[in-house]
Order: sequence, then C-alpha cells, then structure tokens
Amino acid sequence: MNHERKIRVLIAKVGLDGHEVGARLVARGLRDAGMEVIYTGLRRTPEQVVRAAIDEDVNVIGVSILSGSHMAHLTKLRRLLEEQDAADIHLVAGGVIPPEDISALEAAGVSRVFDASSPVSDIADYINSICAQK
Amino acid sequence: MDKPDTIRQKAERWRCDVRDPSVQTVPERHPHFLNDAGDEVQPVYTPADLDADDFGHASHLGFPGEYPYTRGIDPAMYRREVPIVSAYAGFGDPSDSNKRYRELIQFGVQGLSVALDLPTQLGYDPDDIMACGEVGRMGVAISSLRDLEILFDGIPLDSLSSVGSTANAIGPIILAMYIALGEKQGMDPKRYTVALQNDVLKEYVARGTQIFPPKPALRFTVDALEWCVHNAPHWIPITVCSNHLDVAGAGSTAGTAFTLANTRCYLDDALRRGLHIDQVAPLMRLFLNEREDFFLAVANYRVTRRIWAKLMREHYGARDPASLKIRIMGYAHGPRETAQEPLNNIVRITMGALTCFFGGLQDMRCASYDEAINLPSDEAVKVAIRTQQILAHEFGITSTVDPLGGGYYVETLANRMERRIQEIMNRVDDLGGALGAMENGYVKNTISEGASRRQKAFERKERVSVGMNIFPVKTESRPQTFRIDANVEQRQIARLQQVKSERNPHRVSAALAELASNAKDGVNVMPALIEAVKAYATMGEMCTVLKSAYGEYEPDQSF
Repeated sequence: MNHERKIRVLIAKVGLDGHEVGARLVARGLRDAGMEVIYTGLRRTPEQVVRAAIDEDVNVIGVSILSGSHMAHLTKLRRLLEEQDAADIHLVAGGVIPPEDISALEAAGVSRVFDASSPVSDIADYINSICAQK
Repeated sequence: MDKPDTIRQKAERWRCDVRDPSVQTVPERHPHFLNDAGDEVQPVYTPADLDADDFGHASHLGFPGEYPYTRGIDPAMYRREVPIVSAYAGFGDPSDSNKRYRELIQFGVQGLSVALDLPTQLGYDPDDIMACGEVGRMGVAISSLRDLEILFDGIPLDSLSSVGSTANAIGPIILAMYIALGEKQGMDPKRYTVALQNDVLKEYVARGTQIFPPKPALRFTVDALEWCVHNAPHWIPITVCSNHLDVAGAGSTAGTAFTLANTRCYLDDALRRGLHIDQVAPLMRLFLNEREDFFLAVANYRVTRRIWAKLMREHYGARDPASLKIRIMGYAHGPRETAQEPLNNIVRITMGALTCFFGGLQDMRCASYDEAINLPSDEAVKVAIRTQQILAHEFGITSTVDPLGGGYYVETLANRMERRIQEIMNRVDDLGGALGAMENGYVKNTISEGASRRQKAFERKERVSVGMNIFPVKTESRPQTFRIDANVEQRQIARLQQVKSERNPHRVSAALAELASNAKDGVNVMPALIEAVKAYATMGEMCTVLKSAYGEYEPDQSF
C-alpha cells in the first residue's frame, strides 16, 4: 500500500536561551499545516536533539536559537547527524542570527536560516519543498 | 458643564447629523478600528463614556500621592524627580562591562541593572559543558564574588541610585553577592539600594531561566524578600514582571493580571512566614510593559496602581500608605523592534518611553535600537540614555502631574482594563492561585493563544510594522554587528580556576554544607548564601547544592 507519510518535524531548543515563543509558534503553525511536530522543550544538548530526531524518525530538525551560540551548536548538530548515519535529516534554523553568519551556517550544512520576521507559512512551504525533492 | 445624559443626546445628534453622513460620502480608512486588546475603538469619547462606568473623581482618580494613586504615588511626581535613568547592560567578562559602566555613568545613568549571561542565570560555571558557546554572550559572566568586585571596580555602590540584576532563579545568590560586595566596599546597606528582578514564577511560562521546580523556587525567592524585610527594607528584592508575559503573547491585560497573581503568590508565602503585609508590600515593585497601543499602555500603568491600592487595602488589610503605593518600572521598546532599518527603532523606543512618562513610572530604561540584531552596541546604549533625558527635560511634559488623567479615552480604556484584569485574577484564584493556574496550563495556554493571534494579526496586516509588513523595501542598511571577544570563555574559565586556587577550601565546603542543610530544612538560606559567597564559592557550586535539595525543573514539551 502506498500511503503518504506526514512530514515529521522536530522543533528543538539547543543552548541555554529560554525564549520559546518563536519555537512554540512555529511548532503550532507547522502542525496546523498538516505536519507531525515534536517539540523538545528548553535547553537540550546537540546530542539529545540528534537522539530524539533519530528515535522519532523525523525529516527535519528546526532549531531555534536566540542566544548567539548558533555557530557552535548548529555545526555540532550537523556533525552528529553525519556521524550517526542521519545525514538525510534536514537542518533548518531560526531566531536571532546575524545575516553575515548565514553563509557560514549554510556551508556547515544548515539548509536554510529564517529570521524572526519570517511568516510561519513560508517555513511550512520551504519544508514541504525540501521534503518533496526526494 | 453639561450633564452626562445631555452629552449623550448631543453625541447621538452629532453621530446622526454630522459624522455618519460624512463617512458615507468619504469612507474611513478601515471598516473597524481595533486596538491590540482586540477591542473596537470608537470614533470619539465623551463624558458619557465615563458615566457609563460610574466614573467618579474620588473613586477612580483621586489626587497625586493619594488613594487610589491612579494619578501617581507621589504628590509632586516629576516636578520633584524625573524617572530614574537606568541602564540594563553587561557583556563579555566583568572587566569589559566595567569599562562600559563607567562610560554610562558619565552619560548620566543613575541605576545599573546587570545583564547576566545565560550560564550565570542558569547556575552553570563557565567550564560546565552546558555553558559552552554561551559565556559572556547575552550578558556578563558572574561566576563568583570576584567577578562582581571587578564589575564594580571604581564604582561605589552608593554612587548609584540603585544597582541590580535580572537574576531570577539565582536572584538570592546575586543578592548575597551585592551584600558581600557592599561589605568589601565598607558600606552600610542603608547607604545603597539593591533592586532585583528575582521574579521566578514568570520564568516557567515566559522567560525560561528556571532551574528548580516552582514550589522550592518560590521559597528561595521569598527568602530574599524576608531577609530584606529584616535587614534592608529600602531595597527592592522582587520586581514582578508583566513585560515577559506580555511579549510572550499574554498581551498587557492578561500580562498585568498574571503579574498581580504572581505578586500575591510571593506576598502570601511571606505572610505564611509570619510577616505582616505592611512589612512586605512596600518592598515590591512591578515591571509593566508598553508594547501595545500607546494609550493602552498609559491606561495600564495608571490603572494598575488603582488595582494594587484596592487589593492591598481591601484584600490584605494594609494600613501603611507605603503598602498601597506600588512603584512601577518600564523598559521602553515600542511595539516591535525590527532588525531591518534598525534606526527606525529609535522612534518606536521614544514613543514607548513617552508612555512611561504619561504613566507615572518611577524607574525606566530605554532599549537600544539594535537589540533585535545583537547585544547593544556602545552607540545604541548612549542614544537610549539620551532619549530618556531629552523626553524628561526638553518638552515640558514633566511640568504637571499626570497630564492625560481625566481624558475620556484613556479613562474609558483604564476602566475596561480594570474589569478584565479583575476577571482574569478571579479565574487564577479559582484555579488555586498563580501556582495552580500554572500547573493547570491556563497561563501557558493564554500566552500561546495570544502569540498565535498576534502573529496572525501581523500576517493579515491588522498589526503593522513599517518597513516590515507595510512599505517594505528590499535594500537595507545595518549597523555593524557588535561582537564580544571570542576569548571571553577562556579568560572566564582561567579566572574561575584562579579564584578556586586562592580561596580557603575548608571555609567553602563548610559554607556549602550549611547551605545544603538549610535548603533541605526549609530554613531561610540567605545567611548561608552570604557566607558561601564571601568564601568565594562559585555560582555552579552553590546551584549544584541547591539542586540536590530542591530538585530540578523538567522542560515542558507542550506547544
């Protein structure tokens, strides 16, 4: 039987910042857009996020960071995904990320960086498009 | 003056004969005008609107410095003293921040609130794995008393109107550090003022730097309040915040209601310890917000004083006028700071600051125009200070008390807000108070629903932001991103190791053992904390001890 699986997304808070309005808002928005969404809650390590992503068999990890530690955490997340044979999981990020860091993050394997003004519908469209490419 | 009934008739005549024909010919810009609270705004307000709320001068307004304090807690208000210019600052390691503090003081800053980095706020030392990449980023790292000594090097605590910090879960530890620093500077606590945030309850639903489960965290917070009642009653051990609740999605009405409910939770805990309301209420301060419509913000500040005065007198039986007068601080941001065209934020912040003046606040800060992008740059912090000084001194707005008082629109908004705030407070009461409403999910759901509503309103352009969802432009200029020194983490770790090597290890372990046993037994931990801090116990060591006594917070995965 060929039934289509819903896109599964893990919304993750890594690092110490406690701003979860954006993460929860995006989680709700993606759920409303028909995706299966899991939210990690605050202050997870990259190891915990990758573990959850693999256990939950997600297509996409959406990381929310507002503390400025995006470089260290996202680079590590990508590396852990590669190491654990989960390189097919897309990594997208949002929060407060200076534009001059975006190209370095993309080079480090982050598919897309959204800013605080991105409508949730744009994020949903983007996730639908990358998951359809397979 | 005409009687309200006569005015109502005249207003009806105006609507039928003048306004309606006019807008039928040339329509208004929108079919409905809504404010951020979701209420329809009428084309004009008259005394008839006030009459509909049984508005009375004595019951609703009174005079400045008199019950119910709607017009201000002081009879002279800004004719005597304009709002205190405070700055919320801190980045990198303590010596970086010390340099900026000295500059800010030259610019006229009177109050300093130390912005702490996240590892400090969450009780991690800089060498903890959890601190990796975060040291000195969102604020300054304070890992032991040594760091606070460096931070205030050459700045006597009594040279400022107040010193404080946004420490919440660790609030009592920072309080202990200020007490120890005061002693080091040879200063009697009477001569300086510590003003803390130390409002842990809102962390669980909005700000997110909780360490312990709510109940022990509440006890820890109130330990600081109780210590100040007996030792430094002119300090501000708790500033209960609506700001973070509002921004997270509650809006200002529910935000204020939850803030007052949280305040009651702290007060009730203090009263259970045998303190009297007139010993604790005068030490409280509120931090309210101005991120919604301009006039809603003004109404909110003013009416919250009235609600507070009634609550203290009628519910708590307070008799001391100091208990009935609530001090309010604000942090002017404007409705929504943008990362694009950041200089435009100066206008937003200025208008936000104006609501603070019209609201009769005691203490305020202006945000920096680049906060949506990065840690405030040097220039942006100085513009923020100047903004407040220009408003206070260049326009005559501080020459009379409560200039918007009695305005038909502002007072109608205030009356409506008062009813709503009361309703929400009653609902929280029915759920068992702030802790019950939090456990039940009511607070978090209200916030989440509000955040979704706000986001949808923004996407539908009912809420607008110039340059973002109206009049957007493609090209943009940005200020230089302000970066902290990449070596901060290493320097902070090196200093921590040095502190550890120089201190008396027996004194540290004895102090930590005392802290552990007091925390387990429910004895006020402030004396043990003060001793631990003086022995140069680190933030991480003290929090580890407290976690084993209090337990740890479990992250909430609902959304």
